[in-house]
Amino acid sequence: MSAADVLAILQGAVVTVTLSFVGILVGLPIGLGLALLRWADVPVASRIVAVYVSVLRATPLVTLLLLLFFALPNVGIAIGPVSAAILALVMNTSAFNCEVWRAALMNFPKEQYEAAQSVGMHALLRFRRIVLPQIVRVSLPGLVNEMSLLIKVTPVLAVVGVVDITRAAVRIGAETYEPLPPFLVAIAMYAPIVFALVSLQRFIERRQLAAEAA
Amino acid sequence: MIDDMPVLDVAGISKRFGDLEVLTDISFTVTRGETVCVLGPSGSGKSTLLRCINWLERPDAGQIYLNGDRIGINNGGVVMSDRELSRVRTRIGMVFQHFALWPHLTVLQNLMEAPVQVQKRPAAEVREEAMALLAKVGLSDKSDVFPARLSGGQKQRVGIARALAMKPDVLLFDEPTSALDPELVGEVLLVMRELAREGRTMVIVTHEMGFARDAATRILFLDRGRVVETGPPERFFVNPDTERARQFIQRYAAG
Repeated sequence: MSAADVLAILQGAVVTVTLSFVGILVGLPIGLGLALLRWADVPVASRIVAVYVSVLRATPLVTLLLLLFFALPNVGIAIGPVSAAILALVMNTSAFNCEVWRAALMNFPKEQYEAAQSVGMHALLRFRRIVLPQIVRVSLPGLVNEMSLLIKVTPVLAVVGVVDITRAAVRIGAETYEPLPPFLVAIAMYAPIVFALVSLQRFIERRQLAAEAA
Repeated sequence: MIDDMPVLDVAGISKRFGDLEVLTDISFTVTRGETVCVLGPSGSGKSTLLRCINWLERPDAGQIYLNGDRIGINNGGVVMSDRELSRVRTRIGMVFQHFALWPHLTVLQNLMEAPVQVQKRPAAEVREEAMALLAKVGLSDKSDVFPARLSGGQKQRVGIARALAMKPDVLLFDEPTSALDPELVGEVLLVMRELAREGRTMVIVTHEMGFARDAATRILFLDRGRVVETGPPERFFVNPDTERARQFIQRYAAG
């Protein structure tokens, strides 16, 4: 395995991190939005969200991705492998995030919410100042868990031609007839990515604890 | 004369939850500086009545006026939007049974949140007033502490200070001492007595008969969702008009 091969896997790592990052960044607020529609019990919309979440959670990511990549052009929507990959990741992770957010919202103490109403905070203010800061901290472990799953499911994106860490390793193994080194390098690359994510979570949690101990 | 206008005018409020009629045609007024204690057995609708006043619960019938302004229904005759209701609620303070402090904010931040975010008043001025309020409820040294580190009695005193920080026209207390350990009840009642002495306009749902007897200017006795009797505490506790009230008082006197 040459230095160029390692570089190729590193390039795959850039793809993995970028796609994961975009998927997380877009999927997180969408999941929250979906959860809010259900929490507020918005007529029609909340039913649609419930169905969306059920269907998405029941659909394997690969199948969804293949459907998007091969079916959308059939109905006149041109989509490249990267766009299809991001769309599939976002659809998938938003459905799971929705449930994490929703659990936090359902457990939010009603009296606290009413206290915010009673001092005259309007709905947006109540959400932004009182509800959101608290559900973020409750949801954080569940969300980070979902994020780390998302990172590790990115190898399936290779089915539409995206070259991520694993795909790069497969290629090198096929070329060199020595699959062991590239796969070891590949596995060694996922660990720090997920570790960075978990460290970020720990950092945020510790900062909150420190603030409260003050 | 404007002084004749009641601060709070509740006229014919009814409320049902499904088949259960919780409040039936409740009417009363509260004039400036009055301390009205709402008494009655559990399930008589006391808390629901209080929650209807600031429309945390939407009454099915009747009208509520705060200093002459209709609450819940706007000038066009339709139910107020969230924004309209919020504006009205800034004038009605509420103290909750389980304190309902916001745990992610310090004591001082709990007090400053609404005056700064809702009333858009300058933070420096609000801070000064909030510190004065904390001094008043005896918690100056707790301003930078998070609610989780306070005792129940301290939490409720913060709850009262938070309501006062908005300078409301009327204060509603929903069983403010019911969730407290017996030895912590006194410190909260002390603060409430002080507010009564100052002539704050208050409506207090409580089971503290001793407090009602010597701090209330008027008792409103509810049973099964109706106002059974109303009058000054001297009369209510010594010589009530109704048999129902007599039974209620005796049961409490017996402990």
